Amino acid sequence: MKKFASLFALVLVLSLVMSACGPTAAPVPTAAPTEAPAAVETVAATEAASDVLTLTLWVYDDTRLATLNQLGEDFMTEYGVALSVEVVDLSEIRNAMSLGATTGEGPDMIIIPHDNLGPMVENASATEIDLGDNADKYLEPAVKAFTYNGKLYGLPLSVENIGFFYNTDLVTEAPMTWTEVAEIGTQLVKDGKAESVIGLPDLGYNIYPLYTAFGGYIFGRDADGNHTPEDIGMNSDGMAAALQWVKDLVDAGVVSPTIDWEAAHVAFETGKTPFISTGPWAITRFKTAGVNYAISAFPAVADGGEAGHPFMGVQGLVINAARPNVALAQTFADFLATEENYQALFEADTRPSAWMSVFEGATDADTAAFNSAGVNADPMPSIPAMGFVWDAWTNAGNLVMTGEKTPAEALQTAVDQVLAGIAE
Amino acid sequence: MNQKNKLKLSTYLLNLIVAGAVLAGMLWLITKLVIDGLYPMASILSAIAVFIAMVYLRRKFTAWRWVAVGIAIALLFTIYPILYTFNISFSNMGSGHLMTKQQAINRIEQLQFIPEHSVKYQWTAFKADDGTFALWLISADGRMLLAEQGKDEKEVVAGLDGVGELDGDGIPLTIEGYQRVTRKESIAILTELSNIEFGLAPTTYRVKSLKEALESAPLYKYDAEQDAVINQQTGEIFKPIEGTFTAESGEEIIPGFTVSIGLKHYKYFLGTDGFRKPLGDILLWNISFTFFSVFLSFAIGLVASIMFEGLPGKRIIRSLLIIPWPIPVLVSVLIWRNMLHPDMGFVAPILEAIFGSSPNWFTNTFWTRFGIILVNTWLSYPYFYVITAGALRAIPEEIYSAAIVDGANPWQKFRFITLPLLMRILTPLIVASLTFNFNNFNVIYIFNYGLPAMADTIVPMGTSDILVSFIYRLAFVSSNVADFGLAGAITVLLFLLIAVMVILQIRVGKMFKEVD
Repeated sequence: MKKFASLFALVLVLSLVMSACGPTAAPVPTAAPTEAPAAVETVAATEAASDVLTLTLWVYDDTRLATLNQLGEDFMTEYGVALSVEVVDLSEIRNAMSLGATTGEGPDMIIIPHDNLGPMVENASATEIDLGDNADKYLEPAVKAFTYNGKLYGLPLSVENIGFFYNTDLVTEAPMTWTEVAEIGTQLVKDGKAESVIGLPDLGYNIYPLYTAFGGYIFGRDADGNHTPEDIGMNSDGMAAALQWVKDLVDAGVVSPTIDWEAAHVAFETGKTPFISTGPWAITRFKTAGVNYAISAFPAVADGGEAGHPFMGVQGLVINAARPNVALAQTFADFLATEENYQALFEADTRPSAWMSVFEGATDADTAAFNSAGVNADPMPSIPAMGFVWDAWTNAGNLVMTGEKTPAEALQTAVDQVLAGIAE
Repeated sequence: MNQKNKLKLSTYLLNLIVAGAVLAGMLWLITKLVIDGLYPMASILSAIAVFIAMVYLRRKFTAWRWVAVGIAIALLFTIYPILYTFNISFSNMGSGHLMTKQQAINRIEQLQFIPEHSVKYQWTAFKADDGTFALWLISADGRMLLAEQGKDEKEVVAGLDGVGELDGDGIPLTIEGYQRVTRKESIAILTELSNIEFGLAPTTYRVKSLKEALESAPLYKYDAEQDAVINQQTGEIFKPIEGTFTAESGEEIIPGFTVSIGLKHYKYFLGTDGFRKPLGDILLWNISFTFFSVFLSFAIGLVASIMFEGLPGKRIIRSLLIIPWPIPVLVSVLIWRNMLHPDMGFVAPILEAIFGSSPNWFTNTFWTRFGIILVNTWLSYPYFYVITAGALRAIPEEIYSAAIVDGANPWQKFRFITLPLLMRILTPLIVASLTFNFNNFNVIYIFNYGLPAMADTIVPMGTSDILVSFIYRLAFVSSNVADFGLAGAITVLLFLLIAVMVILQIRVGKMFKEVD
């Protein structure tokens, strides 16, 4: 009993001491404004105590790292707030913005491709951004890409889309229709000059222009211009027709049913295939491999038809709503939004800028070619329902390649899977 | 005697202080967790705290004090994750429902309503002696306002109401009762300022960034009595339904929160035909994959160790045979994938030359499975080779000599002496290998991501998927909208399966031991 009493007393005393002057838990922003200054004051105090206020920015690739660091230094000179830029894996960033949202930890700002936006908005991690006077200086599709339910949640930085590559040693001029592509390719295979008609990195994102040329689409738009899960086009005739085009070539033995990203690129690099549909990220490896390539716009289905259009991917800055530094991050976003800064960012990484004047001023031949291939590029849907699409789409493509299902059946399964995912 | 007493006293005090400090720390942590609504973590820590208190207080448990740390760690890192997964499987935890109710309410109450024609103001902060602030707001069209905390904003003119002369930028040099905050200081307290509401309802102002402040008001308020969130502008009431605040019109507020939904997930995947049948197929493949991999690698390892016993150059052969083992699994499976690739690999032309055709390794279900078992056997046999070589050495020579005297031939020697004695030693290792391979995510996922696809499934499933890779795809790949609840439910199923398997194997293994 004595032992118990002394232990109890000691624990009581220590607990009181700890709660009085122990460290406060990570501040979860509380409700009433009157409470807020107390909690936030502790944060501000600890931050002021650590010499200089710092904003953290997480990016997923290092192409713009040097420029961002330079901008950070300029920001520091003007505002006295430091910018800390880190390269973090995209899945880490996604985790920090979803699971991390509950703890208040994580980066203050991130740069992400726009199709990752959906879940972040769903978990209340993205802050609304107002472009203010600069609203008309951005490419409209880029702004639309970061718009969710009518509100803008990110500052667009750059855009990218895939292009249609062809081997200039094997093909003299760019084909205008997909039928021509099949004919030219098959002829080359017959003559022994190539092993397959076209390199297919996957049956989804990279050959989306094939689907759209036939009239297919993934999600339609509602009256406000937002993608909506009410209008799913994955099982439309256009989509099935495109898959049938691929299947016919597989059955003819001129395209391999094993769809592999690496294999497709290797095939193009070694001249084993005359065509490939891929993005600017492949240019470095093609140049290193020494293959003579040219980039053209995507073919249409029939002469005079509409050219297939690719997905547009937009990279942008998103401010983390779960962190207390939202106002400071907004200040940085305002600071970033000038033509000079966008020009500097563009020069660091070849992706076309989302700032209209910088976009139009691009002189690099390859960039210009990608721009023309992407003239009607459609931003990838960033609604949460899109998250179920990718795997279901890969699944459907795989079912067609193994011959288990016809394109129409496989795509119907995919739609069922997406609908089941949305309903769950 | 005195010294002994002294020692006893100092030990007593030391024990008391350590136990007291640990318990006090845990109590403080538990309280914080309960306040934030993180009950699972709080309960496991309470269990550990009670355990530590018992160890300290009760004489019966004093002997346990040396293993107390180990038990506490086991409780925290092994038992707790299992219990937590159980807990998640009964909840709707997933994207959009990751917070506790309190956290969600806190976040919702932060959302601001910005009126249609909200004007943007440039602002300068002024600080009063009592720590409150006031904002001097200048709109684009030159209107000037003074917004104070808790008071209505007033449109003021320089020289009146305590407002001093305006400087060149239109900002008063002095305001009665307030000190002007410089820009640098403003940046330092920007976060704090942005959380303050200036003015009085219905028109309140907030600092948005260094450049601007605007008219904004909280959009939602939580009413504890009704247990609902109310839209301050329209009066619409949102009640919590399955973790989301929903209005009668069906409109939902983001974010939602985690809430228990009972056996819904279990009913979903055990009850839906479209789920249950493919899951059954995956389970079947999982079991056969495990069994064949282990059996084949064990057989090959055993044969290798017996065959190469007495050969010259044994060392070199042994080094070559072990090569698959130290190569990282990621690297070797990728290499195998590239070797077997119908277009890129070198295996295809060779097979075509010999057999006339080469299998479609990655698009044909049978060949993908065959390839996976082949690769896994290649990866695992060195392990069995090494341990059987060691176990063989443990069998005494005399038994063999006795057997030869009795007229046993090599096959009988193997079957009645070598094998039983080997199994006695190797059974636990085989059990471990079976358990490991049941969850061998790496080989399956890297070889072909679980593809080729299964037809007619509710969620994308592959024919070479095992349970754990299916769970991974379901929770993290099939959607970037993670559904932890459903994945948790299937994980619980997986856990129960493996637990049953392991218990059975241990039972069966013991039977082996009896035969001596």
